[in-house]
Amino acid sequence: MPEYTPFEMIAFTGSRVLEDEKIVFVGTGLPIIASMHAQMTHAPNLAMIFESGPLSPILEMGMPLSVGDTRACRKACYLKGLAAVFELTQRGYSDYAFIGGAQIDMYGNVCSTFEGGTYNEPLTRFPGSGGAGAMAANCEKSIIIMALEKRRFVDKVEFLTSIGFGDGSADYREKAGVMGEGPYRVITNQALFGFDKKTRRMVLLEVIPGKTAQDIKDLVSFDLLVSPDLKEMAEPTDEDLRLLREECDPDGYFLNRKVK
Amino acid sequence: MMKKKISSKIKKVSNLKYDAALAEEPFEWWGPTPDEARKVMSAKPKGMHDKRKTLKEAVGKFVKDGINIGIGGFVNTRVPVAIIHEIIRHGAQNLTLSFQSNSICAELLAGAMIVDPDRISIKRVELAWWGYEVIGIAPLLRYLTSRGMIRLDDYTNYGMTARFKAAAMGIPFVPTRDHGGSDMELVNRGQMVQCPFSGKNIYVVPACHPDVAIIHVTAADMYGNCRIFGAHCTCPEITMAAANSIVTTEKIIPNENIRTYPNLTEIPYAAVDALVEQPFGAYPGASYGFHWFDMEHILMFRSICDNFRKTGNKDGLKKYYDEYIFGCETFDDFLGKLPYSTLRKLRDMDGGQPVILS
Repeated sequence: MPEYTPFEMIAFTGSRVLEDEKIVFVGTGLPIIASMHAQMTHAPNLAMIFESGPLSPILEMGMPLSVGDTRACRKACYLKGLAAVFELTQRGYSDYAFIGGAQIDMYGNVCSTFEGGTYNEPLTRFPGSGGAGAMAANCEKSIIIMALEKRRFVDKVEFLTSIGFGDGSADYREKAGVMGEGPYRVITNQALFGFDKKTRRMVLLEVIPGKTAQDIKDLVSFDLLVSPDLKEMAEPTDEDLRLLREECDPDGYFLNRKVK
Repeated sequence: MMKKKISSKIKKVSNLKYDAALAEEPFEWWGPTPDEARKVMSAKPKGMHDKRKTLKEAVGKFVKDGINIGIGGFVNTRVPVAIIHEIIRHGAQNLTLSFQSNSICAELLAGAMIVDPDRISIKRVELAWWGYEVIGIAPLLRYLTSRGMIRLDDYTNYGMTARFKAAAMGIPFVPTRDHGGSDMELVNRGQMVQCPFSGKNIYVVPACHPDVAIIHVTAADMYGNCRIFGAHCTCPEITMAAANSIVTTEKIIPNENIRTYPNLTEIPYAAVDALVEQPFGAYPGASYGFHWFDMEHILMFRSICDNFRKTGNKDGLKKYYDEYIFGCETFDDFLGKLPYSTLRKLRDMDGGQPVILS
């Protein structure tokens, strides 16, 4: 198999998770790359929606560097503002929320607000919800990208920014007044997770070749369920890597983290 | 009145450490109340008048201590940087800022507060997001919050948009399908209610009427009829929510053009109080159809801010403000310090996004 970076694996896996004929509400970076790759391969009729306003643009000017980038508007089919795209989402037009975060718990609740200290005087304040909280609430299914580390896969998130299944109770989301089904997949470079239908707890679906379920459990703070049908993660082919490197993110902004 | 009578099951899962007394304090408007905002609007002359002013005149007239400033644009797009520069030169204390997602505008005001707190101070911010996306986190947000120097009130991007939209619709609150079941329900100024029709829980957020909206648009006529190309962000809603508005525009176009295609008007003249033709008014942010954002300038400013955050040494920040803001009379003076090659490159990188000026 060809060599690839952790970010390339995440983008490739994100692409695999997306189905054709859907609308994906994308966050900045890897979600855009994954969606572009999916469009170029198995999901030609997948459309992207960006929170600043555009629906279904053609990203012919290169990858937008943020969801507010003017390039994200290129040749869109519908272009208004935040109200329009989030209201489409509340109405049920957005199938996938594709977001990231700093911490996640076993019920798919995500923190992207702060770490350490208190809400009023946080040690490390993050940018905040942005669109993520609204996307996780109202897209039909949430796909969450995380780094696979114990300090990120936590028992309890410090600030519940983007709603998952809450405390795991069957009516948590209904009582919260949100619309979507909730967490669907969690993507890391070494493992792909889903959620158990009955308990709504995170379940390991796939591991990268060479690793075991126990290796992944060791990187997670909570008690991780393992699918009885555990699979190996598919790896990107040479052609997938060419698409990612040359077509999706040729400047390496996200796959190589050039800016930082 | 206790704020949170009905709630989701958030308390069963939340691990949040926060000041509960602050979160439960009785609701207050952080700017004009809906009634006050209505009165301001009713009292305004509604005739079509030439709204053109200099930035100095506009900011001098509308920006005062203690006001709520609604900031338009989104992250790096059509951000009203020229107006921010003038506000910093003018000075204003105890500001409330309201926006969804912003980068350079919020950081410029935060930096001004650090450089000269007697000139600019931010008391609190109602927001969804403050950062630089691909370029990184916002160092001054982190600095101010970790010291408890500003109060934040967190919503989602839709939440802030819905709040401006409610204000623009002339209603005091709006139901949204988000915030509920998240820790924002515990700390922000919205609240869970029972829907009178379905009987189900639904989260309502209060209208947000800024005292002054600051907005950069693609084109406008001299009366303030504005066109916006590219993403609208929440600019029309913020402008129409605000008691007063200051708008910069890439270009002033004839009223005849506006009247030929009235469907293209996104902000009507009656919602604009001061209009300034300011090409590159969003620089170093982007303006669709005119120029892309200047990654290098933003990186430079951000690294100065991050250096201050890490060392506490203000020299770099002071130098930036002295050179680019205090050392300039106008925004054109600031733009004049940039090499032509930079502006040329940014114009090319826009890629000729199509706008209609005719």
